[in-house]
Amino acid sequence: MKYFEDVQVGDVMRFGRYAVTREEIVEYARQFDPQPFHLDEKAAKASMFGGLIASGWHTGAMLMRMVAEHMTTVHATSGAMGFDDLKWLKPVRPGDVLTVESEIREKVESRSRPDRGTVKIESRVSNQRGEVVMSLVSLVIYLRRPSEAS
Amino acid sequence: MNYWEDFAVGEVIGLGSCTITEAEVLAFARKYDPQPFHTDPESARRSIFGGLIASGWHTCALLMRLSVDANRREEAAATGSPGLDSCRWLKPVRPGDVLTGRTEVLETWPSRSKPIGFIRRRNELINQRGEVVVSVVGITMYQRRPTAAA
Repeated sequence: MKYFEDVQVGDVMRFGRYAVTREEIVEYARQFDPQPFHLDEKAAKASMFGGLIASGWHTGAMLMRMVAEHMTTVHATSGAMGFDDLKWLKPVRPGDVLTVESEIREKVESRSRPDRGTVKIESRVSNQRGEVVMSLVSLVIYLRRPSEAS
Repeated sequence: MNYWEDFAVGEVIGLGSCTITEAEVLAFARKYDPQPFHTDPESARRSIFGGLIASGWHTCALLMRLSVDANRREEAAATGSPGLDSCRWLKPVRPGDVLTGRTEVLETWPSRSKPIGFIRRRNELINQRGEVVVSVVGITMYQRRPTAAA
């Protein structure tokens, strides 16, 4: 397990592979973001997006899936406080294959909880053409390494 | 039809309410955020959260759904978002919680190149105890009101 002490500012991790399907875009949109350009191919074609695109919140959920599979399983994290500076840079479309690059930006020790700290992680989600489609800075809670004595 | 011109700084708009069920918490988490405190009631009980909690990305998705439904009721001409300044998951969301949305208009400015305008807003979900569980500050784009001459 990687604890707060084990991650260093500047560390870069590359992980994940998420194949985006039309069915999943429409299913997510029906539940959470029922706007025509996420639901209906014809309406999407006529819109400024020129075709069906995934909800931006869906792209965030796909990032979370990749983080949950590849990071929270090997890093001693305990959820997140939220995120800053999220940018939806390019549309995500059916057939896209997404990957993640995460970089440790800053470590902040908790003043009130000596057993944890916050790590600011910038994550960039890219498609199969190497275009960054979304980026954000997550505020992830890491546990401190338990001391040998305890 | 509601256009960019119809939003005033300081205005607070109610977004309606929804209830989150345990089945929904589990279904979302198993697909997008498979961490034990979101997917396994027993393991969640033993975690620092003391019981099953919803993925923060699920909470945001519910906030998005309330916003889309409110826009539809108002026939507001929303055209997407370039990004968010911040998102904070302030309190755990648990099965059975009743979440009420509200949005506050913080700033408005027109696009210089396109017939749209930008609105910076704070979107929040409040639970049945009056606690803000998630607060999102972000930018939404709206169509400009067509001029009478056009």
